[in-house]
Amino acid sequence: MILSLVVNGRHVETEFPAGRTLLEFLREQMSLTGTKEGCVEGECGACTVLIDGRPIDSCLYAAHAAAGREVTTVEAVGGMYGLMTPLQKALVEAGGVQCGFCTPGFVMTLTALLDESPQPTRTEVQRALAGNICRCTGYSQIVQAVEEAIGAGE
Amino acid sequence: MSAVGTRAKRSDGEAKVTGSAVYTVDFALPGELTARVLRSPVARGRIVKLDVTAAREIEGVWAVLTAEDAPRHRNGLAIKDQVLFASDRVLYEGEPIAVVAADNIEIADRAIDAIVLEIEEEEPVVDLDRAVEDDAPLVHPGWEAFEPAHTDFPRYRNVCAEMTSDPEGVDDAFEAAHIVVEGEYRAGRQYQAYLEPRGVVAEYESGRYTVHVSHQFPFNVRDRMASALGIKPSSIRVVGHHIGGGFGAKLDLGIEPYAALAARATGRPVKLVNDRTEDMLICQCREGAIVRIRTAVDEEGNLLARDMDVLLDSGAAGTDGPYLISIPLILAGAGYRVGPTRVRARTVYTNTAPTGAFRGVSGTHLVFAMERHLDEIANQLGMDRRELRLRNLQEDGDLLLNGQELPDASILREAFDAVEEIAPWSQAGKGENRGVGIASCVWLTNPLSGSVVMKVNEDGTVGLVTGATENGSGAVAMGVTQIAAAELGVTAEDVIVSFPDTDSSPYDAGSQGSRTTHIVGRAVTEAAAELREKIYEVAGRMMETSPADLEIIEGGHVGVKGSPGSQITLAEVATEATAAGQVLSATGSYRTASPKFDPTCATGLLFPVFPTPTYHVHQAEVEVDPVTGKVTVLRYVVAQEVGKVINPDGVMGQVQGGVAQGIGYALYENLSIGKDGRYRQRTLEAYRLPLAQDMPDVEAVLLEHPDPAGPYGAKGVAEPPIVPVAAAIVNAIVDAIGAPIDSIPVLPEHVLDAMDQASKRAEVRS
Amino acid sequence: MRFHSAESIPEALGLLADHGNEIQLLAGGTDVMIQLQRGEIASDFLLHLERIDSLKSLSSQNGHINLGALITHRRLSADKDLSEKLKALTEASRTVGGWQTQEVGTIVGNIANASPAADTIPPLLVGNTVVHLASSSGERAQALEKFIVGRRQTTRGPDELITSLDVEPLSDGSGEIYLKVGPRSAMEVALVGLAVRLSLNSDDTVTDARIAVCSVAPVAYRCGEAEQALIGSDLGDQAVGEAGHLLTNSAEPIDDARASARYRTRVLAPLLGRAIGICRERARAAQS
Repeated sequence: MILSLVVNGRHVETEFPAGRTLLEFLREQMSLTGTKEGCVEGECGACTVLIDGRPIDSCLYAAHAAAGREVTTVEAVGGMYGLMTPLQKALVEAGGVQCGFCTPGFVMTLTALLDESPQPTRTEVQRALAGNICRCTGYSQIVQAVEEAIGAGE
Repeated sequence: MSAVGTRAKRSDGEAKVTGSAVYTVDFALPGELTARVLRSPVARGRIVKLDVTAAREIEGVWAVLTAEDAPRHRNGLAIKDQVLFASDRVLYEGEPIAVVAADNIEIADRAIDAIVLEIEEEEPVVDLDRAVEDDAPLVHPGWEAFEPAHTDFPRYRNVCAEMTSDPEGVDDAFEAAHIVVEGEYRAGRQYQAYLEPRGVVAEYESGRYTVHVSHQFPFNVRDRMASALGIKPSSIRVVGHHIGGGFGAKLDLGIEPYAALAARATGRPVKLVNDRTEDMLICQCREGAIVRIRTAVDEEGNLLARDMDVLLDSGAAGTDGPYLISIPLILAGAGYRVGPTRVRARTVYTNTAPTGAFRGVSGTHLVFAMERHLDEIANQLGMDRRELRLRNLQEDGDLLLNGQELPDASILREAFDAVEEIAPWSQAGKGENRGVGIASCVWLTNPLSGSVVMKVNEDGTVGLVTGATENGSGAVAMGVTQIAAAELGVTAEDVIVSFPDTDSSPYDAGSQGSRTTHIVGRAVTEAAAELREKIYEVAGRMMETSPADLEIIEGGHVGVKGSPGSQITLAEVATEATAAGQVLSATGSYRTASPKFDPTCATGLLFPVFPTPTYHVHQAEVEVDPVTGKVTVLRYVVAQEVGKVINPDGVMGQVQGGVAQGIGYALYENLSIGKDGRYRQRTLEAYRLPLAQDMPDVEAVLLEHPDPAGPYGAKGVAEPPIVPVAAAIVNAIVDAIGAPIDSIPVLPEHVLDAMDQASKRAEVRS
Repeated sequence: MRFHSAESIPEALGLLADHGNEIQLLAGGTDVMIQLQRGEIASDFLLHLERIDSLKSLSSQNGHINLGALITHRRLSADKDLSEKLKALTEASRTVGGWQTQEVGTIVGNIANASPAADTIPPLLVGNTVVHLASSSGERAQALEKFIVGRRQTTRGPDELITSLDVEPLSDGSGEIYLKVGPRSAMEVALVGLAVRLSLNSDDTVTDARIAVCSVAPVAYRCGEAEQALIGSDLGDQAVGEAGHLLTNSAEPIDDARASARYRTRVLAPLLGRAIGICRERARAAQS
């Protein structure tokens, strides 16, 4: 069936099977492989994307449920492909990236957090990240990166 | 300013943070097929029917392969006990039986469902103590015929390998002891839980396989797959991509041969990716263990002698177990003076998924056992737990039980002091339901070979070609890169490191054992020394000066010593070299020389020494909820010896990440096995990983004692942070509740059980 | 596979009338999509509800708070007013999965799914929740306690749509709490979930007590015996102990990969004691 939506600021209208997930649509149909599949059960958050600015697990969201809405993925969260937000830069600089497989999900959740609450406390950051698992960093440098990104914005 | 010792952006950071980094699961080739593997649903049984006819007839199915279609000889890392496909009997849940290649995953899954498989189930061997009994059913009835991959070692029945050391004086010391303290300690399995599941894309062309992987050790994939398929290693090309975490699980051969066989059978590229449950089953998670220790102690708390028996659960294949069983002998006498020590360690076959390498191999459960045991000794003597440790610390020049000298053992005392300075023991863990625990460890830096080709490009950037892998730790993207930059006076951004490709990269023994920065970094310094000579030769010609008078100047220049005005750029030198038909490149390689040891100290000692040792102390403070048994880590302090910090963020990332995995191992990550031999936790919902909220801010002191052999003095960093964590945490819990717990993970219910038993004992006494 | 996004309640009810037996309803999808992928449910017709704006209403009427069927965990917990009036439900909503799940997951979805471990159900039970359903042939309402009849089983007919819930807000002099047991700080499927709502008069006598638990039986339930042990008491040790004993006896937990039945039983009484203590503090603070 036809799926019509906005992906990373561009209108997309294409055939895509009913019942499949937004993650499959993004990775297979749109070749946006920055969004990762880690568990397919809403535990790891590697598949997090923004729908109308809100973070969701794309592995548990039907692609056609996103019809007519705006989906943003890690590839374009900087506004244009290849540009980085202060948060992304801080993640690189503060050691918030190791293997990087969880990173796109963290970028999306933290982007939504900073949009909603530009000066979150450390506890608020940790709470917001409940649905994002990082196996490499122990999270500290990710949280530090948020603090550096906030500082940079001041 | 030199690129070493400073913050530098990791070279792969931008690609990873913008989603453009391509991992194997993202990699695709034109016309590729999707494969799925049919795996045994039961732990032990006889295959009475296997019919793939219907599956082969499904439209869109290109191949269905079974043992009939594959080599049937055995392969393995230490002992050749594995087959590619089960044909007669299945030995563990998850054992491959068939592979399907199809147009897409839906069709592949339908084909898997269409395979007719009947298995007559048998009772699996699951319990370790039962497995080693003389009359236990054999996991491998044909064990005697198995060939070792290298040298043979003591083995019998379900004992895949045995290491024993029985020096003189143990029994005498026990007889003379003031007290003898005994303990039994158990540890469950641990899943590496890297976020990128194992995956592979394989091609077959003109008699050669090309295998795309996210693997920590591409050369091992090449060699192990060659052995499994019975072909020459050079008939396989392994190409590395970004690695979505590994932690040891991506060191041995895994699903690669199945994709390769399917590619050969179909003439098309084939992609195979594990689903999460499948990945948990066949990742070769950390082995479960039972450690039994007796220690003879005098009245003052001096350790006089020790007797240790270790059982490791190897699962249905030996994998790295025959090597791991050397570690108990080394660790039993590392850090503390323990007197004559008898050690028997066995890695045991069971009808469960094979286990393998995970960061800090075996050290996690051995240190848990030994450090819990030290607390128990202190309690029985009525002695302060930290004081007991300090009293028995080794000094410089002391020997390990294998006879290896530790010239710098006193660093461990420095680590105890460093922790004390941050979080004084006498004030730690005070308050209701709170406790403090301390634990130490000595760990090694893996010595195996690494090599690089280093070149200067015509634009003055530096190229590094190596088989070393960036598993996420930053050892390549920061450590090796920064060392290369410092060696040639360029910025880290101007160093370009290739991905591994076994056709063109010089050999590297993989990202294991904390070795990459130390070994590959040293190979870089070797290459750079040669490369600088070539640079000076060309530059000397250009500048009409003696090469001996030249030096590298920060910022990508070559200049005359003592004459700051006289310099040219590396780009100019490289351009001139190219024009003159010269190549500005050099190779470097390194392997740590084996320390001296006493080969007569034990039998079955396949992993005999701990090269480049490092010293570490961890202290944890916890609070226990007496209602639910939930444990909260309030404070965590680490003193870690690193040789030399190459990148401070990189080192801290390893410390914090390792501690997080250790906290998971101690408190959350429960991978239990049912009587049916199957894992009970099968998803990331049931197998709990630590979350951001669960982690304390780890306070770490990095102690620098440069290793003359290491690049800029660097030693291994990545593994030690996970090794003593469970010990420190559980010692703190026991301190908080006043009741022993000797098994990990410590789930809330275990805490309540221990508290209930303690209060029952108190009632009986009163 | 058919996928349809309904734009209105009548449109949804019309489709349910004709295809109710084939339809799998889909709101946020956080439960349904997992179950579809694991093969635990099968459906060739997904009826997507998130576009029906009239199911997103939130209002107070006749002393009840009416929660539209599409109220998400996130919307509930972000509402400051509701955070006070439905404190336990809000607390429970904040523990359902991560932010991503709370963003699209709905309270009503939890009810329709009727998991024995659903965090929101015990707080809804202590709020005497009534479930409103509609079909093309009419509307009906049923107490939540009667609506869920078994593990993942409800009385919803194949042609019916849950439209809203009526929940009793906290009254003056009442306090409530939801306590969840699990080893980690978040992302737990409750090993035990306990909601307690207590109403006290000015001399601390209990005028009303409501106790509900999840994850200790196939269905979350109210424990009437334990409630009776508290009503009329001043929450002395004996009454609290008796209530704990009765609650413990009422549980029929199972062993699973997350925890043992023994543990689930073991924590109930002390957990109730803790919940009662917190409710008492909250009730006192709410006495006007």
